[in-house]
Amino acid sequence: MLIKIQIIVGVLSMILLLITFELIRKKRLREEYAILWLFTGIAVLVFSLWPEFLLSQFFVRITGIFYLSAVVLIAFFFLLIIVFHFSVVISKLTGQNKDLAQRYSLLEMEFKELRRRCLPSDGTPL
Amino acid sequence: MDSEKKTLVIIPAFNEEGSIRRVIEGVRMTLPQSTILVVNDGSTDGTSEKTKASGGTVLDLPFNLGIGGAMQAGFRYAFEKGYDIAIQVDADGQHDPKEIPKLLHALTEKKADMVIGSRFLGDSEFKSSVMRRMGISIFSHVISMIVGQKITDPTSGFRATNRKAIRLFAYDYPQDYPEPEAVILLHQCRLKMGEVPVGMSERYAGESSITKIRSIYYMVKVLLAIFVDCFKKPPLLG
Repeated sequence: MLIKIQIIVGVLSMILLLITFELIRKKRLREEYAILWLFTGIAVLVFSLWPEFLLSQFFVRITGIFYLSAVVLIAFFFLLIIVFHFSVVISKLTGQNKDLAQRYSLLEMEFKELRRRCLPSDGTPL
Repeated sequence: MDSEKKTLVIIPAFNEEGSIRRVIEGVRMTLPQSTILVVNDGSTDGTSEKTKASGGTVLDLPFNLGIGGAMQAGFRYAFEKGYDIAIQVDADGQHDPKEIPKLLHALTEKKADMVIGSRFLGDSEFKSSVMRRMGISIFSHVISMIVGQKITDPTSGFRATNRKAIRLFAYDYPQDYPEPEAVILLHQCRLKMGEVPVGMSERYAGESSITKIRSIYYMVKVLLAIFVDCFKKPPLLG
């Protein structure tokens, strides 16, 4: 039973790692985010290869849950970090997006004003 | 008295083509020497065109940023162009432009950095739903406690700010619930606030962004935002 679960979890984590590598290679995923996904993949892979790995034993002992649940818990923990990280990133992007929109509108206004002053009313260049 | 001071009237507008003209005309009647800046917050109607036709200056945002983002764009304009006073007036016409001189007077008289036009101060009568009044009353108590000064109408968007406050708001302006949150921000930066009673009329057109059903939800969110604001690091301005 354990070996079956090990294989499934191992294959899944390897697929995750492969996809991550591929996306980095194609520059569709920034390293910043890729690192978290790589860690997730590696962690799950480690737990599938060595069920007796210190940390998984530790998890099993303190929580009393089974091996598979321990793996799921660890994967969940990593996902939590990733989602949290995304919230931080989105917040920052929202602020930058707002600043850009304001900057843009002020510059556009300035530009239109300048053009209105420099060009004759029919819009043909001097 | 304030004739030498460069004054900017900021009117944030989102789809207000029905009322913008009357608001601009009203402001021009009271303050003929001021610049009227309508911040068009990504409207899909003719707000921008109507403003230009009425002789106002338009700042067109490329997409909707919300009232906080729109107001900050206005403050940034005021700061960069060297205005001494910025006045915020709603585009829906519920703020009576004839009351603006009261705000300006209080700004110099009380030596305040921001003056809020309050609906609940003095004998001004303001008709509103029970829910809304209750909500505003709760905000008022909470915010008054935090800033250690009686603020009767923290959600009022009818305000005047001086150069010092313009500078702060150009740099940092709350985005989620800007009116009550800006009061907290000012307090954190040790700027002075004051209130004057103003009368407010019914909206010319459009509806309030807060419906009755959502008001409780809104209240909880604003209180939460205010609570979080208390722990925020205030910006350092030299």
